[in-house]
Amino acid sequence: MLNFKLLEYSLSSLWRRKEKNLALVVVYALVIATLGSVLLLTHALKTEAVMTLTASPEIVVQRMLGGRHELIPIDYAQTIAEFPGVGKVTPRVWGYYYDSLVKANLTLVGLAGYHEQLELLAGRFPQAPDEGVIGAGVADAFGPQIGDLLVLEDSSKRRTEFHVSGIFRSQSNLLTNDLVVLQEGALRDFFGIPDGFATDLTVQVFNPREIDTIARKIAYFLPDSRPITRDELLHTYDSLFNWRSGMMLAVFMSALMAFLILAWDRATGISAEEKREIGILKALGWETSHILGAKLREALLISLTAFIVGLLLAWLHVFVLGAPVLMPLLKGWSVLFPTFDLPRVIDLYQLAILGFVTIVPYLACTLIPAWKAASSDPDDVMRG
Amino acid sequence: MILHPGILALLFGSTLILLMLLVAGGVALRIVRYWNADSGSATQLQLERQTWLVSTLLKYAFGFQIISVLLFLFTLEEIHPLFVGAMCATGSLNANLVGWLVLLVKIALVFAAAVWLAINYLDQRTEDTPLVRLKYRLLLLLIPVVGLDLWLQWEYFSGLRPQMITSCCGSLFSAEGEGVISTLAGLPIEQAMPLFFIVVTLYAVVLLANLRWRFVALRHLLFVAAVLLFFVSLAALVSFLSLYIYQMPSHQCPFDMLQGHYYYIGYPIYAGLFMATLFAMLPGLCRPLATTSSLERELECCEPMWLRLALFGLILFLLSSCWQMLFGPLRLLGY
Amino acid sequence: MGVDINNSGPLIRIDEVSKIYHHGRPDEVCALQNISLEILQGEVVALTGPSGSGKSTLLSLIGCMSRPTQGTIYLGERRVSRLPEAFLARIRRESYGFVFQQYHLLRDVSVLDNLMFPLYPAAMPVKTMRERALVLLDSFSLTDKQKTRVRQLSGGEQQRVALARALMADPPIIIADEPTAHLDAGLTAELLTMLTELHAEGRTIIIATHDPVVYQSSLITRTVALRHGKLVDDEKVGAGQ
Ligand SMILES: Nc1ncnc2c1ncn2[C@@H]1O[C@H](COP(=O)(O)OP(=O)(O)O)[C@@H](O)[C@H]1O
Ligand SMILES: [Mg+2]
Repeated sequence: MLNFKLLEYSLSSLWRRKEKNLALVVVYALVIATLGSVLLLTHALKTEAVMTLTASPEIVVQRMLGGRHELIPIDYAQTIAEFPGVGKVTPRVWGYYYDSLVKANLTLVGLAGYHEQLELLAGRFPQAPDEGVIGAGVADAFGPQIGDLLVLEDSSKRRTEFHVSGIFRSQSNLLTNDLVVLQEGALRDFFGIPDGFATDLTVQVFNPREIDTIARKIAYFLPDSRPITRDELLHTYDSLFNWRSGMMLAVFMSALMAFLILAWDRATGISAEEKREIGILKALGWETSHILGAKLREALLISLTAFIVGLLLAWLHVFVLGAPVLMPLLKGWSVLFPTFDLPRVIDLYQLAILGFVTIVPYLACTLIPAWKAASSDPDDVMRG
Repeated sequence: MILHPGILALLFGSTLILLMLLVAGGVALRIVRYWNADSGSATQLQLERQTWLVSTLLKYAFGFQIISVLLFLFTLEEIHPLFVGAMCATGSLNANLVGWLVLLVKIALVFAAAVWLAINYLDQRTEDTPLVRLKYRLLLLLIPVVGLDLWLQWEYFSGLRPQMITSCCGSLFSAEGEGVISTLAGLPIEQAMPLFFIVVTLYAVVLLANLRWRFVALRHLLFVAAVLLFFVSLAALVSFLSLYIYQMPSHQCPFDMLQGHYYYIGYPIYAGLFMATLFAMLPGLCRPLATTSSLERELECCEPMWLRLALFGLILFLLSSCWQMLFGPLRLLGY
Repeated sequence: MGVDINNSGPLIRIDEVSKIYHHGRPDEVCALQNISLEILQGEVVALTGPSGSGKSTLLSLIGCMSRPTQGTIYLGERRVSRLPEAFLARIRRESYGFVFQQYHLLRDVSVLDNLMFPLYPAAMPVKTMRERALVLLDSFSLTDKQKTRVRQLSGGEQQRVALARALMADPPIIIADEPTAHLDAGLTAELLTMLTELHAEGRTIIIATHDPVVYQSSLITRTVALRHGKLVDDEKVGAGQ
């Protein structure tokens, strides 16, 4: 089936025109690397987000007032905890804090809701109101270490000092990169949250099949509450990431188009020497289909080489360098993402898409020029 | 929904295939009008060279179409978490009325392109190429189907809304559901299994007879057996083979077996079934076309190869699909 | 598929053949008009005539490189004038050896590859092909040049490579178009000696030339003269008589 002789000819032919082909492979690989970076990065971010969410509670209950997110009375927890199938209901106290010095958003949380998800790298959890632990990401980005002082300004511009008592890590980087954990009382003081209220409630549900039913029940019995299930969050994330990577893919598709025009141009303008070679081989007994096959095999070899090189580049760009080119475009929802250690996952599906959108059009584009080159007159050699 | 990368890639790929076929169609129109094998004119020479362009275009389109079917199934698998109630690719297919239609058209296209390529191969091996006009008329018929594929795909994907509530294989393929597929799935295994093995045996016997003798009637019989094998095997896959493959008494999805956690067993299964069907259909299909002595000679040449490929396909299909049934721990029938 | 050279009839039969370039257009050129010709096995035919008389066109028709506008060509028993191009290509690589005026070698490719590349589409395994190439290179005393790129060879060496390439498939018919146009007297004589040897092996040779040294040499058994695309003279000479 596979004619190795003809493959060898294609290799020799590529090698003899290595300058031209090398230039083509480089540009092609760069296009693949950009597209590949988009796909790898979004997939990694998605995996990361899903990891965060699996650690998060089954249902989060917020209170809505006038269409806005309001503090929720803690006695709601009591009502919910009495529904059958519900495990622990935990009130959480947390809030966002914009640090104008480092120009970044931090999330300050009360100790209660997060205990189990966090793994201390060093130090201990806060034991006094003026102690706090910070995520490893925050430590890396801003440099405070255990024993250092963390100075925050509250809403009335009053400066509050916290001693860093520990540094923690969790399964997901998204969680630790902007997180500061304080004692609940200290946090209430800081944000001015009255006793008897919490930011939201987390609800533990034992049987995953009952999550939706319980969420509906909560909404029914506590009409001013908004239960958000973990699946809903997952969907939102999924759609968001798909949408973002799709958008970027669409944008880079035009880069691909530009490249294809270049490739077309290259393939059409075969050199005089190449033309002469084809003429000779045709005169001596090569069929149109043989030349065509040889040219297409060359295109396939170029594609595969560029694909592998491009993929390696994308991998380096995303996982080793941390996608410096794409990061600012992709994660619009938070300012703070210091040295992001992305999970190094490569999904076959992403590879399939990348291959499909880069190799297929390239091959299709070289078809007609290859055929044009192959269908010269065999008796051309008799002239001139 | 359209901005999902997989969906973008699929729509892009189908557009490309359509473009390739339109180019081929342009040549086909000219060939149908001007082809004259007895002429020494430059036009004839030009047309003759363009036939190579067309056969290459079709070969590539065929290859791309196969990849596109697989990518379609992967994408369904990938987007199923977006739909409430969907647990696998089947759920995504059910999310929209045209889902199954897209899959059907895609598979039909793969078969049609393969048959066209086979006829083309046969014809190009003869010195007088008697099938040229027929071939290119058939090609013109293929173009609307490719267009339909693209359009249905667009309809399907643009009609998808996240959070849509769909039913999955659990309910679709279960006995309680309605429609052809659930009827198949609901077939009691005591009936489905003997039916499957009767058809496989029939097919195998006819195939071996074809390898041994050359009667035309046998070729036609094999064609019928191949069509039967295709549909009965698909039914068997849904109704009981899948249960053994997944080693679960209720999982009946025909697509999950393409996934990594089932060791990609679906690929040899479907590739084998495709080969067994296609190559057994070809002799019967081509017989009525072999009106000249040159074609008949070439057909005689190709038939043994096709029959052997069909046999290989059958063995591949049976081995990969029934392996778990024979050696796996799951037992559905007491014996 | 190849040519049955043991048949009793003529090896090549050309029947009322015309070749018109750009047929039906204002710039149409009638390169050959109603040519009829039979070539027997073992003949060495010289096609003569001034430049533009249609020699190359006739050679390309005989060599299955193109098809006539009108008329029929038989190669042995086989009618080749209306075969699809793919079949013609196959006949070319199996039954013909070509030598061209400008050698037409692949300049950036080694001598050995120059011999093998043209036969890559054939079913012959690479090993057999290489052995055959080495034998041929040896007989043309080119063994030490097998890895050299053609660009670096002298004119005489290139001519020998071209001839060796023509013999790769062991063809019964050799076709040469003005093979001596770029050669000096010494190399011309050398080429004629080599062709004589090929003739002695039983091959049929057809040479288009307007070089008197060639068409008056003792090797030629028959001369066919063309003028303005018409056959004006056909006589048996020398060894053929
Ligand atoms: N491809 C072509 N298109 C148009 N005219 C051609 C072509 N090839 C050859 N001719 C014409 O045909 C005539 C015969 O050419 P040719 O066979 O090359 O002559 P010779 O080899 O005897 O010099 C010339 O007038 C030439 O211009
Ligand atoms: Mg000439």
